[in-house]
Amino acid sequence: MNNSKKVVLVGHFGVGKSSLVRRFVQNTFSDSYLVTIGVHILKKEIKIDDLNLTLIIWDIEGKDDIQKVRSSYLLGTSGFIYVIDPTRPQTFERFNEEMDFIKINFPTSKLVSVANKSDLIDLQEFKNSLAEKNIQVDYFASAKMGTEVETIFQNLGMKMI
Amino acid sequence: MTDSEKLIKLKELLLTEDRDFAQIILQKLDSLEDTINTPDKLSEKVDGIIDKKLNVYTDEIPEKLGPTITKALSSEIKNSQDKVVEILFPIIGKMIKKYIQQEMKILSDNINNQIQKAFSVQGFKRKIMAKFIGVSEHQMLIAEMNEPKVEQIFVVEKGSGLMISSASRQESIDEDMIAGMLTAIKSFVEDAFKKDQQSLELIQYELFEIHIQNFTTYYFAIVISGGFNSGFKNKLENNVFDFVAANITTNEIDKQQISEKLKVLLKNE
Repeated sequence: MNNSKKVVLVGHFGVGKSSLVRRFVQNTFSDSYLVTIGVHILKKEIKIDDLNLTLIIWDIEGKDDIQKVRSSYLLGTSGFIYVIDPTRPQTFERFNEEMDFIKINFPTSKLVSVANKSDLIDLQEFKNSLAEKNIQVDYFASAKMGTEVETIFQNLGMKMI
Repeated sequence: MTDSEKLIKLKELLLTEDRDFAQIILQKLDSLEDTINTPDKLSEKVDGIIDKKLNVYTDEIPEKLGPTITKALSSEIKNSQDKVVEILFPIIGKMIKKYIQQEMKILSDNINNQIQKAFSVQGFKRKIMAKFIGVSEHQMLIAEMNEPKVEQIFVVEKGSGLMISSASRQESIDEDMIAGMLTAIKSFVEDAFKKDQQSLELIQYELFEIHIQNFTTYYFAIVISGGFNSGFKNKLENNVFDFVAANITTNEIDKQQISEKLKVLLKNE
């Protein structure tokens, strides 16, 4: 049986949304920063038990406020991936508000949060600072090293079926 | 031995070695001069070196001279546009002329074929139609040459952009991605020119037109080649309405069933 689900990556610009998608879909990484304009759509099929799940991944341009994202891009989304950059605190200053916005406006969608670029920081120190701010991030990943990338999409896929 | 003999002996001793050395140098100079003045000999010596240097130089041209050449060309073209046009005009003109001649030949062959079939049932029908609607038979023939044809049909879920079903005359690239991108383009245009109840209905792409017909939770995107005109659009819209009325009556769409029916719709178009 085949099934398709729409997955949308949201977060500030430059947090590494496109890099995460590229690592997951093409298993590649590039250090050069290419800003996403509008939306870039990619797809990948994953297998969960006996089910083939096709993820249609919408990599949308970064916005510093999720409410500024073109709402029509978010319609019909089954799974959101909210991405932050641990090296730039402004990308998670309003983390809880933004997560609440998604939960309230898309109550049936699944949501996971990811701190990308975790290879650039002292992970324990960062986790402590998040705890102080009452921020709970689900995955600490690195598109550059490939850390946790597969797990994020696989687990989100499981949540969506 | 006299003093004079001794002097001669001393001279011999001192100068013989220098003379021999000078002789050798002279011989080498002669040989060098000969090599330089004889093209074959010179080429034998330096060809290898020049070839090696040229190879390195050729490899480095794009990197070392590329930007300079591009810059020089751009500025030269900019500063002498008339000259460039003058030079390129005959070349491009010839290319265009050749292309048009080729296309006209194909069109002419097609028309000849049609005329040869003038006594067929279709030929008589065309003659009667031409008289009836007041258009020359030739114009009708040309219109027939460029008849619109449905190439692909997509049924896409609104919002998510997920493909519900599709049918295509030939293998196409990833249809899921096409459905997603079409939805993204549609969403963008509709958001950008926000007017109540208005939606994107047509996308032109080189030789293809994508006709979009919206329904509540999904939309049809139909790829058409040839001359897409209002008569064909009207007929197509009616066919899609009929298809939806006959096959999509509930909220739950049976993807498998729709897929088979779409193939029939595409075949009949």
